[in-house]
Amino acid sequence: MAYKIAVGSSDGINVDLKFGEVENFLIYEVTDSFRLVEQRAVTGGNSEDEGNANNVNSSDLSLESNCKKSNCKSSGCGGNGGGCGGAEGVQKKVSLIDDCRCVVCRKVGFQAQKQFEKKAISVFDVEVPVEEALKKITYYYEKIDNHKTLRT
Amino acid sequence: MAKLLDKQRYKCALGAMQSVQAITRALPILHSGPGCAQKLSESTGSSGYFSPNIFPCTSINEKDVVFGGVKKLNSTIENALKVIDADLYVVLTGCIPEIVGDDTGEVVSRFEDADKPVIYAPTAGFKGNNYKGHEQVVDAIVDQYLKKSETKQKGLVNIWADVPYQDLFWLGNLRELEKLISELGLTPNTIFGYNRGIKNIDKIPEAEFNLLVSPWVGLNNMKKMERKLGIPYLHYKTLPIGATETSKFLREVGKFAGVDEEKVESVIKVHEDYYYYLIERYADLFLENRVINKQFTVVSDAHYALGITKFLANDLGLVPAKQFVVDDTPKNRREEIAEEFKKLNFGLEAEVSFETDGFKIHEEIKNHDYHGYPLILGGYYEKEVTESLKGNFLNVSYPVQDKVILDDSYVGYTGGIRLIEDIYTVAVQRFN
Repeated sequence: MAYKIAVGSSDGINVDLKFGEVENFLIYEVTDSFRLVEQRAVTGGNSEDEGNANNVNSSDLSLESNCKKSNCKSSGCGGNGGGCGGAEGVQKKVSLIDDCRCVVCRKVGFQAQKQFEKKAISVFDVEVPVEEALKKITYYYEKIDNHKTLRT
Repeated sequence: MAKLLDKQRYKCALGAMQSVQAITRALPILHSGPGCAQKLSESTGSSGYFSPNIFPCTSINEKDVVFGGVKKLNSTIENALKVIDADLYVVLTGCIPEIVGDDTGEVVSRFEDADKPVIYAPTAGFKGNNYKGHEQVVDAIVDQYLKKSETKQKGLVNIWADVPYQDLFWLGNLRELEKLISELGLTPNTIFGYNRGIKNIDKIPEAEFNLLVSPWVGLNNMKKMERKLGIPYLHYKTLPIGATETSKFLREVGKFAGVDEEKVESVIKVHEDYYYYLIERYADLFLENRVINKQFTVVSDAHYALGITKFLANDLGLVPAKQFVVDDTPKNRREEIAEEFKKLNFGLEAEVSFETDGFKIHEEIKNHDYHGYPLILGGYYEKEVTESLKGNFLNVSYPVQDKVILDDSYVGYTGGIRLIEDIYTVAVQRFN
């Protein structure tokens, strides 16, 4: 059965974007093979804000730098998803791709992970080439959908 | 692992984390899903050093199934070495990483130069139960940590017996065996329990021989040590309980170790005199045939089924009904173990069934004519069926819910007395 995978990539070659940084999700459709079918834009123009909500968990971006962003409306960033975008912002973005079976990004924050979990969408936060990620994921789904062992 | 629907009497091989836990200051690092350890942990004692049942774990999830959990394992080991002060780190793998093909051995080999030894044991559940897992842990120590020793320490004997925590008497049993061995003038060496640990592991290669007291668990380890470390072994199949078996045991060990026969006999005499003094004082209780049951059944792992059957037949003169071995004994060992059940005094032979299906066992117990009330020694599962038959029940094997055991033991002369006390405590209650 065909299904879709949402990928966070700036160049279509590497999975290099955090969930919050994604402005255009690359939507791949998987049948026998996978192909790019759509670039789904994150609407509302507040992608940066939402992104910050997810940066709470990432170590390489300090909270301070997030808040220096000019369009940050909140007084402070911190807590689980309580950052600039807040839980609502994450929810909107999660809903945008909730027709997909899984989402592949460099990092996915705690708040977003929980939201995806609620919708039974798998999260793969990995830093690999898009091609490799899709190959591994489709291999995995092909096996479990057909009740085949993953034993190597 | 045999197919089980209910009344499970052992765990999957990852249950070997209990064997690691039994080695003082040895730490299991689990490469498994987050639920594995939780399911396997019990409240029956812990290491006495680390928090009970809280171990470093990679907690692998779907992502690691798809992309491999090697990176996570590497960081888990790395950080465990940083924050937990242990003497030996044993990485144990669950089913998932072994199914998807994580090369745990390769990751562990990156820590060869670490200050503390890091080894790994493949303990995927599909490879067998925790008896097998226990063997894997000992194998890992032999393979990856120990080196052949050029020097031997005179009289040093490594003792291997129960699977820690699977058998709640493990600590007491090991200590009692140590005591008996040292009375022969030998120096016992065990690795499990209080004040043993890495310093005793280091002594293993210097031993003159390995003594395995177990019907089958550990035999592969003995063979491995013989090959790799050049340590010969004595495989004593029966757990010695009571005077008959313990004296036999001491004579055999004495002969194997080249201990002076007179010395062995003098040790035996001291113990037997006291043992039979105790028995004699209560002879009227033992001879009063209304008190104790005529026939008995043991439902347990091969270790206890064999030891207790011999004890009850040889020392107490009870008649064995069918015995049940529930540890999923490897098929190639069954025949020789069944043979052991036939070597009883008074020309008695016990029939034994290697069965893991609790339902079938209970049906057979219900349908057997015990010539009165049955005496059943088994796991907690047998309590209800014994009660329905108005029999006497003693909880001696996994799962143990009826008893709290700190360092009690059923081994040796004193162990025999303890078992008699326990059985008769149950039996006399009928008349109160």
